[in-house]
Amino acid sequence: MALRELSSLEKYLGLKKPNKYSTQGDKKVPVLQSSNGPPLSGLVTIACHLVKEAKRPELLGESAESRAVVQQWLEYTVTKVNGSTREDAKAILKDLNLYLQDKVYLAGNQISLADILLYYQIHPLILDLSVQEKEQHVNVTRWFDHIQHYPSIQHHLPVIAVLRNRIYTSRHH
Amino acid sequence: MKLFVSEGNPHCLKVLCALEVTGAQCDVQFVNHEERIVPFLNRPTLPALLLPSGLYLFSSNAICRYMFELNGQESSELCNQWLEWEATDLQPALLQALHMAVVQGKGSEVSKVLQGPLNVLDQSLSKGNTPYLTGEAVSVADIVLCTALYPVLSESSLALGEGRSVKAWFDRVAAMHSCQSAARKVLQGKGLQGMKSYMQRQPAPHSSQCRETQPCNS
Repeated sequence: MALRELSSLEKYLGLKKPNKYSTQGDKKVPVLQSSNGPPLSGLVTIACHLVKEAKRPELLGESAESRAVVQQWLEYTVTKVNGSTREDAKAILKDLNLYLQDKVYLAGNQISLADILLYYQIHPLILDLSVQEKEQHVNVTRWFDHIQHYPSIQHHLPVIAVLRNRIYTSRHH
Repeated sequence: MKLFVSEGNPHCLKVLCALEVTGAQCDVQFVNHEERIVPFLNRPTLPALLLPSGLYLFSSNAICRYMFELNGQESSELCNQWLEWEATDLQPALLQALHMAVVQGKGSEVSKVLQGPLNVLDQSLSKGNTPYLTGEAVSVADIVLCTALYPVLSESSLALGEGRSVKAWFDRVAAMHSCQSAARKVLQGKGLQGMKSYMQRQPAPHSSQCRETQPCNS
C-alpha cells in the first residue's frame, strides 16, 4: 500500500520520472534508492523527500510552527491510523472530528502533505462508515470530501460518496 | 509557549531534554497523568506543547523537532528517517518492554522484545563510524532516541546485551547534562519504578503477533 501511495504522490507532485522503490522487513517499509546519496526508508521520510524534490516546500508548512504541526499529523498517520483496529478507528475519528471542527486543513490555511497522506490512510476507515456514522463525524467527512476532490490527489482510491444534506436530524453536534 | 509534562512519563524525558539542549523559551508545568490538556484528544496525552498560536502539539517527536528548529537546527533527511523509525518501530517495542518490566515484573524477558531494534541501531552506528547518529554533532535524532531508550538502557538489571556501538553512543549522549537533568525530573531517581503509576494507566500493548493478525489497511 505504501508504494501505491508514493506513486500517487509522485503523480500529484508532477514528478516526471517515477522512482524505484523496494521494501524491507515484515512490515514492508518502503525504501527509496537514490542516485545521489544513501537510501531513504520510511513512508513519511520518503514523502517529505519527494516534496522537496518537486520544489513544493509549502506542502511541509510555511513557518516553524506549521512545519511542526504537519510533522505531528504525518507521525499520527503512520503510527495511529495505519494498521488501526476497529476500536482504534472509533477513537481516531472522534479525535479528528473534534480537531477539524474549526479547520479546513490539518495545518494552517492551505493543503499540506499531512492532508494528503492522512487522506490515503484514512480512506478504508471512511469507506467502512454508514451514512449515519458519516453524519456523526461531519467534520472529518467534510475534510475528507474536500481533499478527495482536490485535483489529482485521489489517483489509486475510489471516490466515497458523502451526502451534503443531513438525513438524520435528531443528532446535534 | 507552555510545556505540560508529568512525572514518570517516559515521553516527557525527550521534551525536557530537548528543552535544555536548545534553551527554548518555554514555561514548564508538571500535571497529573490523567489531566486532559489537549482539548481535541479523548485520551489524556502528555507531553503537550501549547504554541503561541493557541494550537497544541501532542507528539513528543514533533515537539523536540520544533525546539531544535527554533534553535536554528532544522532536521535533516537522515534525522527524519531516525525520528520516523523511532515512532513506528522502536516505540511499539519499547512500550511492550516497559509494560513487561514495570507492570508485569518480567524484566528478564525484555531483551527478547528489544533485540531487533537495538540491532538495527547498533549496525547503523558501527557502519556510520561517527560519534552521533547523523554525524559529528548531536542532533534531534540523538536526543529523541537516547531519551526514549534511557529508562531501559540505564537499568543494568535488564541485561539487554546491546551492541558495543550502541553502548558507546548511549553513554556519550546520556552523560550530557541535559539528559541527566531530564531523567532526574521524570524518573525521580527511582529508575523503572518511577514509571509504575504511569505505565499502569496505559492500555496493555498489542504483542507483535496479534498486531499482524488484526485488520490492517497498510
